[in-house]
Amino acid sequence: MRAQAPREVAARAREAAGDEHALATVTRERSLALRFARSRPTQSTSVDDLTVEVAVVRDGHVGRAATNDVGPDALRRCADAAVRAAETAAGQAGPGSYPGFPEPAGLRAHHGHDPETARLDPARGGEALLAAFELAAETGTEANGLWTAGEVETAIATPSGPVLVDRVTDAHLKAVAFGPGRRSGYAARTAVSLRDIDARAVAAAAAAKATDASSEPLDLEPGEYTVVMEPHAVHDLLWVLGQAAFNGLAHSEGRGALAGRLHTRVVSATINLSDSPRYASTLPRAFDAEGVPKAPLPLIQDGVAHRVVHDVRSGAAAGASSTGHAQAAGGPAPGPSPNNLVMAGGGAADEGELCAGVERGIYVTRLWYTNVVRPEESLFTAVTRDGTFLIEDGRVTRPIADMRVTDSALDVLSRVQALGARSVLTSDGELYGRRFASGSVCPPLRAAAVRFTGSAASG
Amino acid sequence: MRELLQDLVDAASGHASYADARHVLARVEDVALRNGELDLLDRREEEGIGVRVRVKGAWGFAAARGSGRAAGEDALARALALAEAQPAAGGERALTLEAPASGSHAGPCEVDPFEVSLDRKLELLAQADAALRREPLVSVARAQVSSRSEEKTFASSDGALYEQRVVECGGGLAAIAVDESGAQVRSYPGSHSGHIAQAGWEHVVELDLAGNAPRVAAEAAALLSAPVCPSDRTTLVLAGEQLGLQLHESVGHALELDRVLGGEASYAGTSFVPADGVGVMRFGSEHMNVTADATLLGALGSFRWDDEGVEAQAVPLVGEGVLRGFLSSRESAAEIGLNRSAGCMRAEGFARQPIVRMTNVSLDPGAAGTLDELIAATQRGIYMETNRSWSIDSRRLHFQFAGEAAWEISDGRLGRMLRDPVYAGTTPRFWGGLDAVCSPSEWALASVTNCGKGEPGQLASVSHGSAPARFRDVLVGSG
Repeated sequence: MRAQAPREVAARAREAAGDEHALATVTRERSLALRFARSRPTQSTSVDDLTVEVAVVRDGHVGRAATNDVGPDALRRCADAAVRAAETAAGQAGPGSYPGFPEPAGLRAHHGHDPETARLDPARGGEALLAAFELAAETGTEANGLWTAGEVETAIATPSGPVLVDRVTDAHLKAVAFGPGRRSGYAARTAVSLRDIDARAVAAAAAAKATDASSEPLDLEPGEYTVVMEPHAVHDLLWVLGQAAFNGLAHSEGRGALAGRLHTRVVSATINLSDSPRYASTLPRAFDAEGVPKAPLPLIQDGVAHRVVHDVRSGAAAGASSTGHAQAAGGPAPGPSPNNLVMAGGGAADEGELCAGVERGIYVTRLWYTNVVRPEESLFTAVTRDGTFLIEDGRVTRPIADMRVTDSALDVLSRVQALGARSVLTSDGELYGRRFASGSVCPPLRAAAVRFTGSAASG
Repeated sequence: MRELLQDLVDAASGHASYADARHVLARVEDVALRNGELDLLDRREEEGIGVRVRVKGAWGFAAARGSGRAAGEDALARALALAEAQPAAGGERALTLEAPASGSHAGPCEVDPFEVSLDRKLELLAQADAALRREPLVSVARAQVSSRSEEKTFASSDGALYEQRVVECGGGLAAIAVDESGAQVRSYPGSHSGHIAQAGWEHVVELDLAGNAPRVAAEAAALLSAPVCPSDRTTLVLAGEQLGLQLHESVGHALELDRVLGGEASYAGTSFVPADGVGVMRFGSEHMNVTADATLLGALGSFRWDDEGVEAQAVPLVGEGVLRGFLSSRESAAEIGLNRSAGCMRAEGFARQPIVRMTNVSLDPGAAGTLDELIAATQRGIYMETNRSWSIDSRRLHFQFAGEAAWEISDGRLGRMLRDPVYAGTTPRFWGGLDAVCSPSEWALASVTNCGKGEPGQLASVSHGSAPARFRDVLVGSG
């Protein structure tokens, strides 16, 4: 089949709308995903798809329609549906508040595309699985996980004519090893390029956790514990803040965790957090869903909250400009969110050094099923998974049963005692809908008095 | 399309021990008003072909947009290449033998929601939205209707060939009240897209969004000044969406056989339930009877055939508290020696491969009468409504749920409204505390439209039937 260039399709869709208030977005995804479990391949998926979305503004209302058919009739129907939707809304609901799509601005180049990864050779995935299986056999563990790679090209035909184009690649490998006693260990690596992912090393890191955990896990009493979190767990804290604290729409409506707290100290003075779309090792983006250029945005500096993120709609509500964080053209609820969070590291060499100062605490590899309970407090709940250990007298001593943590993300970051020096890109590799790989760059940390409210073993 | 799909599975047969091909045409429309303004007006159409093959035990799935022969052949070639690129699977596991699916099926729909004018939809939403905003403390009002149709044609190398069409429709509303004490939300009929059913526009009309809006707004406002739910080990009465989600998370997912066998260990997780537990493992009290029924009229997890051509069934999962069965596929069922798949393989759209998905996992009704009668028979406890937050561990053992609102139960009566209610527990102990389920007259469906599983991720919709139920000795608090 002849590939359709997203730039051309976007221009044709915009033209089909024939409307000076229309924005057309084309997203083409090519991807591979190979899953494995019990040291054998289980599922594999190859996707080659393209989505055309036309958004039209009428009297402050945005109507949208989408199709994956790029034929002229389909594009016309799609554009007509978007126009009709916006006009109907404007006729029914009176003037809306959406100020219109932004004019295109200059984009900065980034290094988010790797041609070798974009070739999507299935054999590369097969090799990664084989490496994981071999390592598992050598260590007496069982390999489970995912290898995936993709290329996504996005083109936005803006109302005034120019077409913006961004091409990115991503690759992700995660390994969950099961060792003796069915204890599990986790490791993962995410990068722009496949070359930066060493499958054997990832599998070995996961296996080391599973085999270290050979003794019977301890069922620890709920309570407050000093915690050492690996970057994968810290990533979940940042995700909570992205949802509950930095969402400019929720903030402007007085229900965000930073409402009334901007320009005050909200976390430890050691915390510096920004949204940095071109930071080394992140997954870069050139623009957001409304075509607004991505730019570095300091969010928390020395513990003081400085700003939240906006799309065009939330920015208008707050009397501010878009910061380039729209998740969809027209910015519907649930509002904008940061996709390139970067947290600066500290002085501790590694997780071992972070443990060194702990008399009795908990080592957390990752969190699972993290969900916001009360956004205005950044209160979340989650369960530890795939590598939870007891820290005694400065070192990891034995596995413990997975535990539920229920605490405020801002409060946990207020109680940070030390940060690791090395920040790494962490991603959960969740790819729902059209592929949009994202992750945060963060270090491991140690925090005091983190609240654990239950044990997976005893309730 | 039938001919093309048959040609594709025939072409695969020289290379693969099994193949299936699926063409899907899906339409979606979401319309929402927020504080009187259009918040969401999305219309989406997608069409494509997904081909799944099995080569030396390794599965390969590929998808291509469109409906033409070239798209199908491209998907087949990529599926074969992907299957062949994987390391040897160490022998091919058997699939259960199933009667080949054959025929056509259409789900229930009286009024095609895509034929209802946008004006009519916006008018209905505007009435609900305005009614919510009459409450001064409500700062965010939102009302939404959603419609979805899916037309599918399926063929397999085992001789299956079918077409089926389903229409899903529904809606809901939410009010967020904000003051200096924080933000409180109330939703109707549920917090996850309201209530969606396999039905037409008639379902939206039956929901009476505008009629329920004043109560929803008033409760959101009242929650701002309500006392916080006290921490206690007490009796908990659950109903509707929250009980449905409890079933979904702690029973449905725990009994997906791919999880039980370790196939989802790296993402969705495993299960505390052993594969050899049928007939011997106690899951809950003798009042607990749970069935997974893919034939339930109007439910989102209903169909005539699943996405590997197995006919829909009603599968007993728990009987009188004892494990009775699993949710399975042809491969996972065969692995534990079952003769038949439970028919649970479903895929999102055309671009995802089928995976084990729960069908409509429902709690059978009991004999405790109406909700009022159940409350009257409860000396002391908490009644909780509408999900606000949810979390459960990767073995589906330890959970924590937050509700939007709760009420004290004191001397058989509902008392004060309570804010920020949360409850937590471990699955067998929680279900072991079930001591009463209301009667069939109280039994109703709740919908879950955002169930995530699989890599790349897939969202599935499913319904859960239940009547209000009472659980003893539950840890309740405010998080």
